[in-house]
Amino acid sequence: MRRLAGLAVALPVLLPIEEACAHPAFAGATGFYGGLLHPLFVPTHAIAVLSLGLLIGPQMPHGRWPVALAYAAGLGIGFAAMILAFAPRFSAEALLAITAIVGALVALARVLPWPVACVLALAVGIALALDSSPGGISVREANVIIVGTFCGAVILLWVILVVVASFRREWQKLGMRILGSWIAASAVLALVWQLAR
Amino acid sequence: MLLIRANLRATVLLMLMAIPAIAHTGDLSGGLLGGFAHPLFGPDHVVAMVAVGLWGAFLGPPAMFVLPVVFPLVMAVGGALGILGVPLPAAELAIAASAVVLGFMVASAARPPLWIAATIVAAFAIFHGYAHGAELPAGTDAAAYSIGFVTATGLLHLAGIALGLTVRWPAGRMGVRGTGAVIACAGLLFLWRLA
Repeated sequence: MRRLAGLAVALPVLLPIEEACAHPAFAGATGFYGGLLHPLFVPTHAIAVLSLGLLIGPQMPHGRWPVALAYAAGLGIGFAAMILAFAPRFSAEALLAITAIVGALVALARVLPWPVACVLALAVGIALALDSSPGGISVREANVIIVGTFCGAVILLWVILVVVASFRREWQKLGMRILGSWIAASAVLALVWQLAR
Repeated sequence: MLLIRANLRATVLLMLMAIPAIAHTGDLSGGLLGGFAHPLFGPDHVVAMVAVGLWGAFLGPPAMFVLPVVFPLVMAVGGALGILGVPLPAAELAIAASAVVLGFMVASAARPPLWIAATIVAAFAIFHGYAHGAELPAGTDAAAYSIGFVTATGLLHLAGIALGLTVRWPAGRMGVRGTGAVIACAGLLFLWRLA
């Protein structure tokens, strides 16, 4: 399990590098609010954060904040790398692969040791940040969008954690497992589709 | 707690006020809605998905949630085979047969061990996933389409479970078994059309 988590965090970093601005310019992304909504409106980002929230929310009531902090640190590392013009070519695929792993863990209701969960959260944060490149605009505007995306990604996980932490009934826990299986299946299909293109 | 609720509301309001950042491959609505609609327009898929939920509810916990968890996970494997163009013979026949078998299981109130039920459902999930994967339209947002498609499939399972929960009443039990019989007959019709 630790090796799997290590692989997950290494995946977005070890992928082939290409020059910055790898991301197509996205219409409607205006400033801070555009970045804030980015994790919510990009399907792969939304399911990545949702799967992480479903994984760490119910399983580690006392250890979820270190994992959430690892996720925020991952976002910070990813955005810092992006500012330093590090842009892996397959960041979207890496995010989908990690999402599939996290979704499957939710479906299987696996309780992870908190260091392993931290590594997975770090991987999600790095991959999500590296896949959020606001290319083709001024540096100033890009930085504002990056700050917005960081805030949006952190808030989204926080909201999911608050909601998931309130789940006490058995059907809610079963619902989370079913949702995890949906996320894993969606991520696998999207990953294979993108790789097959 | 009040502070958390207030923060939560403020966050949601803030998010709703902002302009959507429609990113990446674009066409979020087309991809998501297109994927969502895809399983709903195949009657053979619809009846089989509902039958999975019905059978799960009929078997009760833990099958009630194991089957809807197993199906999408295995379906994704089948979908990957379809996307990659790996040949899988008689996929349409297997899909029609899935309606017959799953409908018969519900109609006959079959109660096999959980692993057998999960294996039957998983085997058919491969073929359903394969058919969907092979039919994925080019040029749409892969992630949004996949999410929509898997969500619609899962909701059909949940619809079957919701209907199946009526088995606790005698009339509901008869209704569920009758629905299983109708699904099996529909499967026979699909098989007859393919023959």
